Amino acid sequence: MKRSRTALVSAIALGVVLAVLIGVLATSKSADDRQTTSPLLGKPAPALAGDEIVGAAGRVDLATVAPGKWVLVNFFGTYCVPCKAEHPDLVRFSQVNASTAEVVSVVFDDKVSNVKSYFDQNGGSWPVIDDPDGSIATSWGVAKVPESYLVAPDGTVVSKVVGGIEYAKLQDLLTRAESSS
Amino acid sequence: MTKVAGRRLAWAALLLAVAVAFYIGTTDRRSPTDAERVMDIATTVACPACAGESAANSQAPAAVYVRNQIAKGVAAHQSDDQIRAGLAASYGNSILLTPPSHGVQSIVWILPVAALVAAAAGLAFTFRRWRRA
Repeated sequence: MKRSRTALVSAIALGVVLAVLIGVLATSKSADDRQTTSPLLGKPAPALAGDEIVGAAGRVDLATVAPGKWVLVNFFGTYCVPCKAEHPDLVRFSQVNASTAEVVSVVFDDKVSNVKSYFDQNGGSWPVIDDPDGSIATSWGVAKVPESYLVAPDGTVVSKVVGGIEYAKLQDLLTRAESSS
Repeated sequence: MTKVAGRRLAWAALLLAVAVAFYIGTTDRRSPTDAERVMDIATTVACPACAGESAANSQAPAAVYVRNQIAKGVAAHQSDDQIRAGLAASYGNSILLTPPSHGVQSIVWILPVAALVAAAAGLAFTFRRWRRA
């Protein structure tokens, strides 16, 4: 009798521990969800400043680069296939939304000379800044390229996109962000 | 000396040896260099672009960048926790390989200790019953 009661208590204790573990795992976000979430969403954008390396020489600062506009901060490298695939879509996005949005690109682990010739060949007239020690990428939580962040005119990060993105999806992202602001 | 007293003395000596070994093993009397601190912190941070690798072991650009960021924090005399919190603020808590000791994730720390205490209590209870039988 006493032995069966001990077994019952042990089983209940084990069951409670298992239930807690299952609860924790079931309520955790999946790896897929985490890819498009970021602790930065809804918060002021981290500092982003550097010297322009493609267009006219000068200092680029996210806080002043496009007053009153949405800014798409795009981390990329010329060696990266999805970055090359999305580049024409970024060009089109920047042209179509020239009055309301600006693209700012940040170089991720690439040579300035490669980036210059890449923009010469493929177009794109938005500011591009280098990030040689990765401090900008780290403060934005970039894991691998391409990654893009949509920043509202008030400086709040509203979306994060992991991987290459097409023009239609970018346009949809901007439209939805504009309508909810 | 009686047999029982001798046995107790042996147990006490064993416990003392274990305590001394723990103390020596867990305290490092030499202050680490900045480079050692960077690598120590990097071993507790995940490489953002890799699966199951720490930022200390990986040569992926994102891991190199994380080490650069840690080095900046060390140079700025930030504490280990401040540096780790700064990275978690950008990448999320999933970048921390050692879970925080508060909130739901503290269960990772509490469960093994609770299991150890329960097992020790169970053994003590069983041994006592065997001795009485």
